[in-house]
Amino acid sequence: MSVKIAVIDFPGSNCDLDTIHVLNDVINIKADLVWHNYFKESKYDGVILPGGFAFGDYLRAGIIAAHSPAIDEARVMLEDGRPVIGICNGFQVLTEAQFLPGALLQNDTLTFICKWVMVKVENNETAFSNKMNIGDILNIPIAHAEGRYYIENLKELEENNQIVFRYSNENGECTKDSNPNGSLANIAGVCNLERNCIGFMPHPERASESILSPKGTSHGKNFFNSMVEFIKKRL
Amino acid sequence: MTKVKVDENELNVDLTQSEVEWIQNTLERNPSITELGMFDVMWSEHCSYKSSRPKLSLFEDAEKNYDYVLAGPGQDAGVIDIGDGYALAFRIESHNHPSAIEPYHGAATGIGGIIRDILCMGVRPIALLDPLRFGPLKGNPHSQWLFKYVVKGIADYGNCTGIPTIGGEVEFDKDFESNCLVNVACIGLGTIEDFKHAPSRAYNPGDYVILMGGSTGRDGIHGVTFASRTLTELSEADRPAVQIGDPFTKKMIIEATLEAIKTGYVRGLKDLGGGGLSCALSELTGDGGTGAKIDMRKIFTREPNMNSYEIMLSESQERMAFIVKPEGLEEVLNVFRKYEMAHAVLGRTDDSKILRVYDGENLVVNLPAIALSESPTIPRKEKRPEYLDKLLTEITPEPSKTLDELIYKLIASENICSKEWVYRQYDHEVGVRSVVKCGDGDSGVLRIIGTDKFIAASVGTNSKHCYLEPYEGAKEGIVEACGNVIANGAKPKAMVNCCNFGNPEKPESFWYFAEAVRGMADCCKNLRIPVVGGNVSFYNEDEVSNTAIKATPEIMIVGIIEGEENIITLPFKEVGDQILIIGETKAELGGSEYHSVIYDLEGGIPPKVDENQINSRWNFIQELYKKKLIKANHDVNKGGFIITIGEMCFKNELGVKLDLKDYNNYNLRDDELLFSESVGRFIIETNPKDHNEIMKLAKEFKVYVKNVGVLSQNPIIEVKGLKSGKLELDVIKMKNLHNSTIPNLMEI
Repeated sequence: MSVKIAVIDFPGSNCDLDTIHVLNDVINIKADLVWHNYFKESKYDGVILPGGFAFGDYLRAGIIAAHSPAIDEARVMLEDGRPVIGICNGFQVLTEAQFLPGALLQNDTLTFICKWVMVKVENNETAFSNKMNIGDILNIPIAHAEGRYYIENLKELEENNQIVFRYSNENGECTKDSNPNGSLANIAGVCNLERNCIGFMPHPERASESILSPKGTSHGKNFFNSMVEFIKKRL
Repeated sequence: MTKVKVDENELNVDLTQSEVEWIQNTLERNPSITELGMFDVMWSEHCSYKSSRPKLSLFEDAEKNYDYVLAGPGQDAGVIDIGDGYALAFRIESHNHPSAIEPYHGAATGIGGIIRDILCMGVRPIALLDPLRFGPLKGNPHSQWLFKYVVKGIADYGNCTGIPTIGGEVEFDKDFESNCLVNVACIGLGTIEDFKHAPSRAYNPGDYVILMGGSTGRDGIHGVTFASRTLTELSEADRPAVQIGDPFTKKMIIEATLEAIKTGYVRGLKDLGGGGLSCALSELTGDGGTGAKIDMRKIFTREPNMNSYEIMLSESQERMAFIVKPEGLEEVLNVFRKYEMAHAVLGRTDDSKILRVYDGENLVVNLPAIALSESPTIPRKEKRPEYLDKLLTEITPEPSKTLDELIYKLIASENICSKEWVYRQYDHEVGVRSVVKCGDGDSGVLRIIGTDKFIAASVGTNSKHCYLEPYEGAKEGIVEACGNVIANGAKPKAMVNCCNFGNPEKPESFWYFAEAVRGMADCCKNLRIPVVGGNVSFYNEDEVSNTAIKATPEIMIVGIIEGEENIITLPFKEVGDQILIIGETKAELGGSEYHSVIYDLEGGIPPKVDENQINSRWNFIQELYKKKLIKANHDVNKGGFIITIGEMCFKNELGVKLDLKDYNNYNLRDDELLFSESVGRFIIETNPKDHNEIMKLAKEFKVYVKNVGVLSQNPIIEVKGLKSGKLELDVIKMKNLHNSTIPNLMEI
């Protein structure tokens, strides 16, 4: 059985076509771009909420999209263990929909930031990191204005091993300098307790082809390959 | 201003008395208030080019003379055929006046407007570039405010629409203090079929006229007439003439429009920009040779009780007009419904050649469709300013500081320092096409997914040189912008320009415009670059301080790179490699950054452009590319030779050992040799084993090339062969100075 992934197209999503391109042309799996009102979970093995500015990020980033019918469909997938992934704006939607704990606040620079950073793998038993090793350091770009992760109870998150990725330097040290947006504990990505829902601020779809990477890497592929692997194990 | 009596009312219009008479004679009656307002807008300088048209005819006919040009000047954007079935559309325009009054929304709606221009060519907008000019930042909160919010306006709008901002330029100069320049450029990519589907004409009678997008409000009424005047103290009161942008709606319009075109039922397409519905409807029908009957009350308005004058002249953002085949109406409307975009069927085209607009039962507009686009031209007087004679005789003072002190000061100066503070705020990666990132090359490079073809695009001009000699300065802008794409491995394909000048009614301001156009036209003919579009912004003049901006003919060049292996970047790469300079350095410090930063001097003789030599250098470089002999390339620009070397060292923190003893052919002073801004030079990195082959080719192409040094591990720039002895520069110190200027200057 072939793996089938949906990428949700909210009004204002703008990394939708980029994500579709990488899934179809780089990872070589079947992925459909689905308008948010038309999405039906039963057809898919996994779903990605892409980056962008869903509903213009009006009111608060991700909050209007969190009330889209697509989220009710995604909740069914969340509950039966299929992968639900949020990238950048998709992560914001997932925290607003309370699929994931915490919140994404305005960057401490108070500006939008677009640049390549490094992230370190903290948990490799999730639907978006199972093809990686703990401690791997990945080159990947960020592009957001509200990416500063915050949570009241950091200790619980750490104890439950829900931190999947942290911003780090090339030696794997999670320093202040390597933290682009002021995220609490350098957190770049988190997962739910079941490990099938992951939110991640950087853009793996922009880091999956060496031609796009300043260092010639293609670390972004590992994320999508992990998702495919996770689905195959379930099937 | 002219007072015109209509019925019982007296109306102030910007039309001249003779224009009003022409209108009355042509219509054989008095125009209604709405009609008069439409003429007022459509015949404004901004919409009609009535001062500039006679000069713009100097450009050669691009569509006739270049077989790959699909659309030339006069259309919403220039379009070229780049092979493999793809069409590339691009355009640059100004949004200076609104940005000077309200920087955030002024800049944002500038982006919105240029995106619509590209979209209405039927292709997807894929990149933005923004040349910006402000007063000096240092100790100047007003300039900082304009700069900060213009950048934020561009970032918030561009980022949200998902179009990467891949390049631009920023210049700070006191002459832009009250009249900042915000130029915006956009590139669109689609198939040639996409482009052919949706001309900006309504040529078929019986088609439906549909308005789609945002609602029509009272914002931006007379925005274009406002842009066709000089700024005064009262201009602050014009703030309601600045439109408010909504990038989310724009994103929806982009997707809905592209999907509507894919249905095959869209026969014509036009964006609503300056002049609003008046402009769109008259151009669609006028250019298409049809007429139309429009029911104005179908238009969805933002506020109640808007009258026909307000509705027809509103410049509310985020609106598109569609001409749709009758049999496809429902299918097109269904696309709009999917995206939840407001839309209204306003009426149908007919063969009357008359544009009729009804407000209920009342016929409020009844004009020959072409009348509005038939504005008369106005011949303007030209006069070379007398102050130039004195300025051109100014000489470079003897430096009172050591060379290293001068260089550290220059590298940190506002015009030369890193613009990372700006481009970090722009999403320059969305679309997964950006191959050469901001800061790594002289131009932005985009891949065309599914091909091995790349687009290189650059914008630029040198307003300091144009101020002294607009003819040569305008040529330089073209050579410089072409040099930028060539440095990244591309062949320049076509040019569009955005002319920013002062008040054309003043002979001295108009002389600058006339000379710049003559320079651009000559240079483009000589270098075989088609001019496929342009925009003119006059009245960049401040009546309070009585200053006009420096003449700024902004140039945008797009080029094509064939093959990934042919993409070249700017940073020096490998220790032991040779550094070669292509082109001689002459004593051309007039209008240089060196003069300005060190001596606060604007005079001297600026560089001259020799197109024959430039052309040989370009051909030579293409030959070196073909033979894979170039590892890094950077064109020599502001600050001259030594600044260019520094910029190439920064990324990989390498050093160079230079010897300029044999390079100084004209017995120049040290400061002339290091800081002169002679046009069209390149610094390249090559493998020493290729030296003989390169020098042999140089001879063949009759190009001056000199080996000036070698790359070293130690991040020190060491220069021998100067008259004052040896010079040593710390690359890390230069880099830190280069990177910290703007963050340190921004107090707000």
